[in-house]
Amino acid sequence: MSPNPTPTPPPVPVDEKRDSFEREALVHLDTLYRVALRLTANAADADDLVQETMLKAYRAWDQYEKGTNAKGWLLTILRHAFINEYRRRIRHPENVDLDTIEPFAVFGEIQDDDPQGAFFDKIVDDEVLRAIDQLPESFRETLVLSDVEGMSYQEIAKILGIPVGTVKSRLFRARQALQGRLYDYAVSQGYIKGTPA
Amino acid sequence: MNCRECVDHLYAFLDREVTPELERDIKQHLEECPPCGDQFDFEAAYLKFLRARCHTQGAPDELKRRVLRELFGE
Repeated sequence: MSPNPTPTPPPVPVDEKRDSFEREALVHLDTLYRVALRLTANAADADDLVQETMLKAYRAWDQYEKGTNAKGWLLTILRHAFINEYRRRIRHPENVDLDTIEPFAVFGEIQDDDPQGAFFDKIVDDEVLRAIDQLPESFRETLVLSDVEGMSYQEIAKILGIPVGTVKSRLFRARQALQGRLYDYAVSQGYIKGTPA
Repeated sequence: MNCRECVDHLYAFLDREVTPELERDIKQHLEECPPCGDQFDFEAAYLKFLRARCHTQGAPDELKRRVLRELFGE
């Protein structure tokens, strides 16, 4: 037998699917978790929802066009999973009547005493999250995608399957409703003088 | 631009979702109209506060491990 040089072994097959999934999808785990937590308002359900989203996403990974908007794609999957499997058994107190919100009522109340909104700084994280969890679901998810995750109106419209104009109006009402609640809370805690709106 | 038109675009402006022309008109109005300027400043402070309060929480390490385990058997 001639002493042929040992053929170079083929390169270890790089698991490209896993590699690209880690690079493009797993990096959004924190975002998915924050959104899941606000949708479910429950850490155990949020864990399960994120887990399920990642499994579904990995199975469907070939259908995702690499290098586009993985975050939006993942959030769409998460939202569908939530609607199909969690929403029915999760009840949020939806006790904010968004139709009766008077625009910019809080600013009207505080513009003389605290125009910079210094009272906000006294309100702790948990109280803000609790107030967000009181918003009706469609308004809550819009607010979370915008104010927690910093997504554009266009991206939010795509994920929620609604027109950009609807994103704007939901966001306006959600922010104003939340602001009203936080103001009422600040008044009740004596952080600011005033009468609950 | 009058105050009403200006305030109608308040959040879109703060979210940087307006066209460059509209942004210029709003900025000009805000310079000329201190009450609108105050209102925009207040809402900007509110949005900044919201973002700061809500963005801290990430996925727990245990969830990260669980996802990796389920996906890749690790």
